[in-house]
Amino acid sequence: MADVAWLWLAAVGCFSGAVWLALAKPVHWAQVMSATAARRHPALVLRCLGWLALATALAACLRADAPTMAVLVWVMLLVPAALAVAMALAWRPAILRCWGAAVCLRPGSSGR
Amino acid sequence: MFDTVRQAMAWVHTGFGLVLGYVLMVVFFFGTLSVFDREIDRWAVPETRFAVQPMPSFDRVLAPVYQRLRPDPADLERIARRVTGELPDVASLPLVSLFAYTTHRDPVLLVGAEFGVPNAPLDPADDHLHAHGRAQVDPRSGAFLPENRLQIGTDFFYPMHYSLNASPAIIGYWVVGLAAMSMLAALVTGLLIHRRLLRELFTFRPHKRSQRSTLDLHNLTGVVALPFHFFFALTGLLIFAAIYLPVHDSLLRPLDRQHEVLEAAQTGLPHEPAGVPAPLASVDAMVAQAKARWAQRGIPGEVGFLTIEHMGDLNGYVSIFRAGSDRVALVGEGIHFSARTGEILHEDPAPSAVHAVSEFLTGLHLQHFRHWLLRWLYVLGGLVGCVCIATGFIFFTEKRKRQWAHHSPQSLRSVDALAVTAVTGMVLAVLGMLVANRVLPIDLPARAGWEERAFWYTWLCALLHAWVRSTALLGGAVSPAWREQCIGIAALAVLAVTLNWVTTGDHLWHTVTTGYWPVAGVDASLLAVAVIAFTAAVRLYGRGAEAASSAVEPVEASRG
Repeated sequence: MADVAWLWLAAVGCFSGAVWLALAKPVHWAQVMSATAARRHPALVLRCLGWLALATALAACLRADAPTMAVLVWVMLLVPAALAVAMALAWRPAILRCWGAAVCLRPGSSGR
Repeated sequence: MFDTVRQAMAWVHTGFGLVLGYVLMVVFFFGTLSVFDREIDRWAVPETRFAVQPMPSFDRVLAPVYQRLRPDPADLERIARRVTGELPDVASLPLVSLFAYTTHRDPVLLVGAEFGVPNAPLDPADDHLHAHGRAQVDPRSGAFLPENRLQIGTDFFYPMHYSLNASPAIIGYWVVGLAAMSMLAALVTGLLIHRRLLRELFTFRPHKRSQRSTLDLHNLTGVVALPFHFFFALTGLLIFAAIYLPVHDSLLRPLDRQHEVLEAAQTGLPHEPAGVPAPLASVDAMVAQAKARWAQRGIPGEVGFLTIEHMGDLNGYVSIFRAGSDRVALVGEGIHFSARTGEILHEDPAPSAVHAVSEFLTGLHLQHFRHWLLRWLYVLGGLVGCVCIATGFIFFTEKRKRQWAHHSPQSLRSVDALAVTAVTGMVLAVLGMLVANRVLPIDLPARAGWEERAFWYTWLCALLHAWVRSTALLGGAVSPAWREQCIGIAALAVLAVTLNWVTTGDHLWHTVTTGYWPVAGVDASLLAVAVIAFTAAVRLYGRGAEAASSAVEPVEASRG
């Protein structure tokens, strides 16, 4: 059943990746973060983190299944991930705040 | 004609979408249902609600089955029109080839055979003169399933997906093929006319006016599932490539036949029968040997597909293919045995790169794999596609509503009534069929035909209802048919679940606690549909009331 754990990781990775890629856009960052946090927008970091999460998700898919299957699962997991992010942004943007906060609390930026 | 490329692309996008969007909606929706076709079969044919079975013993179970199998009467009629003289007695037609096919989701086994016809063909070039017979078999006993049971999933919803159940089917294949082509064109043109593709990738503004939010949803569902939409339209076309470009059976026919003969010479699998009768060796021993060979090669597996060519002839051979439950590609790794001696004649080599890509592309569409998460993700992809097409229609009518209400009210009503029929009406038709499946008497003659009629008539009623109620559009309101049909969906879905309980005793609690997921899944999905439809109806009623209270001078419906 270890495969299930890898697939969960893949799902979380895809969702987190989609959240960070969305937050990399100024309009969504402003939607999600509080006014004080919204002033600084670490777009590049968010974008890198987003792609890194998606890559991690792909790696997890590859651990769970044969490569041909894993690619399909990964591509298809992006659909609910992106939809969920869009719906969250539309109705409850605040629930995505911890993904943005995680970036603001980076050791390099925590002192500011 | 157009000032910008974007305008031209928008024209193509709207034109294709409007003309073939209705077909695409059907294709997407029934494709989505077909992901769980076997499970719908279990729901619709309660006699088959038992555990999944592997390929049964050929020698003990299947050999007697093929002796009892007879050609399909409809196929015999077609054959009779192609030959000289009267066809001999059905029981005397010799069985010349056979197949048995199962997957990891099938409790029942599909068997089929070709029967030789001794009469001379009317057209000398008619070189494939066989009568076909097929049946569903209980692999535990070898008993045929009763004939008047319609496996709604595999025999109705799935063919609806690729042929619209048109008669003759070739018309359906072509219409669906055109729709798939237009889908590819709509995807490309859609991307080109999208003004802020990347910037608005995650954008959905439900609180803006309905035209804006509809377009947002149309863009969102189109873009986030773009790889799914693209690959399914493309692979769907690839699977039927031989139908759309039948060069092998027209222009290149002689070459194709020569290739068959050459291939037979290379593999050692006889192309023609010898005309000398010969007995059949133990097929079970061949199956055991094939499984041992797969295990040796590090790919242990079950038999998915078994065929025998030139049955009862000296040149007869048995082909055994491994089921593709553990990968994207379908059955493969065929091992071929001499039917007379049981010796291995040929073992399929590893597929070439081109063949492997082709197998991957067809396999990802036809999905024989055992991967429930991916299966559900496909369902989501299909539903997202439906939302994309439906919001396309709604955007089209919303945008033109004011204008068309004056100029061409009938066109506006037609487009909207067809949209309602293609969205909620289609769900109603499916539910109507499921309800009919549970209420029609079990021994009703031609029961399958009545179930199909229930489907088409429910759909027709939905169209009439949508047309009659669309007059409200001319007053600037949303057609009340949407919410009324949503209520109908909720009611029929609950009724179907209840009827399943009453007629079979398999209520949801029972199927869930005993872990019988095929039926539990269908029932739970029906209840989910009921909840969603009811919620949608309540919201639409709310919106209708809001619109009525704030309505400005309604447009006079004199022309409606």
